Amino acid sequence: MKKHLISIALVSALTSASLHAEIHLSGFGSVVGGMTTSSDETLSGYDDNMDFKQGSLFAIQASSDLGEGLGVTVQLEAKGKDDWEPDFKWAYVSYDATDSLRLLAGRQIIPFYMYSDYLDVSYAYAWIAPPEGVYDVPFDTFDGLGLVYTTSFGSVDASFHGVYGRNTDELEINLLGVDYQVSPELNGVMGLSASFTYDWLTLRAGYFTADVVMPITDLDNLADGWEQAGFNDIAANTKIDEDKGTFVEVGFQINYESIIVVGEYTQLEVDNSPLAVEDSYYIMAGYQFDQVLVHLTYGADEGKTDNYTSDVPYGVDPTLDYLKQATELTLANDIQDNDYIIAGVRYDFHDSAALKFEYTAFTDDHYNNSDAGLFRVAIVTVF
Amino acid sequence: MKLIQKSLLLTLCLTSSLVFADVAVIVNTANDSQISDDDIQRMFLGKNKSFSNGESVVAINLDSGNEQRGEFEEKVLGKSSSQVKAYWSKLIFSGKAKPLEEVASDSEVISLISSTPNAIGYIDASKVDSSVKVVKTF
Repeated sequence: MKKHLISIALVSALTSASLHAEIHLSGFGSVVGGMTTSSDETLSGYDDNMDFKQGSLFAIQASSDLGEGLGVTVQLEAKGKDDWEPDFKWAYVSYDATDSLRLLAGRQIIPFYMYSDYLDVSYAYAWIAPPEGVYDVPFDTFDGLGLVYTTSFGSVDASFHGVYGRNTDELEINLLGVDYQVSPELNGVMGLSASFTYDWLTLRAGYFTADVVMPITDLDNLADGWEQAGFNDIAANTKIDEDKGTFVEVGFQINYESIIVVGEYTQLEVDNSPLAVEDSYYIMAGYQFDQVLVHLTYGADEGKTDNYTSDVPYGVDPTLDYLKQATELTLANDIQDNDYIIAGVRYDFHDSAALKFEYTAFTDDHYNNSDAGLFRVAIVTVF
Repeated sequence: MKLIQKSLLLTLCLTSSLVFADVAVIVNTANDSQISDDDIQRMFLGKNKSFSNGESVVAINLDSGNEQRGEFEEKVLGKSSSQVKAYWSKLIFSGKAKPLEEVASDSEVISLISSTPNAIGYIDASKVDSSVKVVKTF
């Protein structure tokens, strides 16, 4: 069988070199070194030991134009923080129905944020990576269908990006203050992003929903306890099982001569779950001096939980007391209230590479022992 | 006439080797479309995909690092080479657009454009010959 295939391949290679579409290869990468400013501080996976792995990444993209509007794009990315295990970020077949309408089928990025489409292409923006407080949905890809429609209304360029699909990738996420390895199901991922550009101003908005199933042993055990005690509503609230997740984003970008100003606000909510409703935003301003861009960002991240056990009084029954206490602790662990300032410089020292320096001062207003300062330096490239 | 042109060119070269040559934006001689400065800009940023005559645009770039390309990007697109590269990497790595076709020299641009009815490119204005049509010189 194999031999047969090989000979077929050989024959077709010999007879019709022209039938094989040209493959266009491109790629990008970041090598990031970083450390916190003091031994008792950790931030974004960094501590006070100089680290070159956590923020580093490389990706290679192959695309081919098959003719008649059909194309294939595959992007393989490896990140230091995943021990360099490569992962397909994009793997899709595209069809350009018209000059303004493109259909995509396969693995794609969910366009949650302003920088989603090129999230890891650090060369394309000012920071080493976009602010984590806002860019923190624990997954960013899905398998399904996408539609990109670009048009213009007078001198306003508009782009609409719709998605429909599912994500069942295993995730390592920090939920409720604890790191979990989970196998979630994000069913019926659906949404739309729209962006409008007029000369120096871009406005953007996005709205996405999904049915979220996230089996987490600690929560499921707690939910079983509530169920046995006869509190079915509280049990359902404690489990993350077919709960509707909603993500909303609005943002703007100003590129006026040498001035750049960018702002984004996001809200993430999983109904009927112990997860916090998270509101996040940042605003960044920068100025381009020839080859050097200087920028400053302020951002804040707030997570609020709703104590759905408040109707159950303490002191009635020891089991109930235990359940209530454990649930309240879980809910309290997901509360967050922090803000940060990022000061950075980007230096375009080469046609295809830039050097970046960044300092992040992180202030935690909820847990007062986790303030941190992080210094990072990066060389970023596209090729 | 030719002699005058040549001697002019020579004088120019001698007096101002520091000043870059003008950039001529060129199309196929059969292309009768109206093309504004804004159109040129949008065609080379992948925003405008068709000419006013309905033909789809094939924009031809010079290789990265080419002096003429830097000149074109600064004068016509109003951006530095790094900014243009950052702009295109947004489109390429999100699969929203294919990169422009790149060639190594002015003469390759001329031969591609003279044989492709819907192509547009730019070259050193002094290299223009009768096989292509100049849209505008910057």
